[in-house]
Amino acid sequence: MIDKAAIANPKTHYGNGRAATRGFIQQRVTGALNIVFALFMIWFVVAMAGAADAAARIALIRNPIVAIGLILLIVNVAIHMRIGMHDVIEDYINKGPRNTLANTANLAFVALVVLLVVGSVLKVLFWG
Amino acid sequence: MTMSIVHRATGIALYGGTLLLALWLVGAAIGGAFFDGVNWLFGSWFGQLVLFGYTWVLLHHMLGGIRHFVWDSIRAMDPAGRETIVRIQLAASILLTLLVWAIFVWFK
Repeated sequence: MIDKAAIANPKTHYGNGRAATRGFIQQRVTGALNIVFALFMIWFVVAMAGAADAAARIALIRNPIVAIGLILLIVNVAIHMRIGMHDVIEDYINKGPRNTLANTANLAFVALVVLLVVGSVLKVLFWG
Repeated sequence: MTMSIVHRATGIALYGGTLLLALWLVGAAIGGAFFDGVNWLFGSWFGQLVLFGYTWVLLHHMLGGIRHFVWDSIRAMDPAGRETIVRIQLAASILLTLLVWAIFVWFK
């Protein structure tokens, strides 16, 4: 019987309806925000590349607005890219332990990137 | 069809490309000779080439997202509309990439 519970149950092949809807909404909300963050990142990379020396680059990252912008950027990007890779995995490795492994690897990569970026920005922000 | 694959490919490139942003910031956090090395790498011809490609990939994926927002609103979904919107996207991503580099790098 196909009812709401069957569709919402991830163990049926109808998939997890609530998770899919949540992914759809999150993907679009983070995608819209990413328009702003993409322009911010282009500005940041240009400023980093054009800075006179290492000290000027450190000073740029220590600017609180830049530091907070970078942290918000990577968190938003992380949510967006995890959903994107989840969709790719769903298309090519959609069953069994390899699916679980792929999704876990996806989460691990995304978490690693967030950890590296947030950790580095906070280090530079507080200790130069 | 092709643009659907390109949207996915640019998405995957950006996924891996976040490591480049992470590398620059980790470099800043470590400092010293390592940071000098990272700065040299991004300033080298190879680094500049990668950044140029990254600019197009980012802008093209961004415009692809906007295209999907247009489709979400049930506009330009017929065959002719799809062709037009995809051509606008490709032209705009190339033009914007050249514009960014012209303003910030070539003629600054």
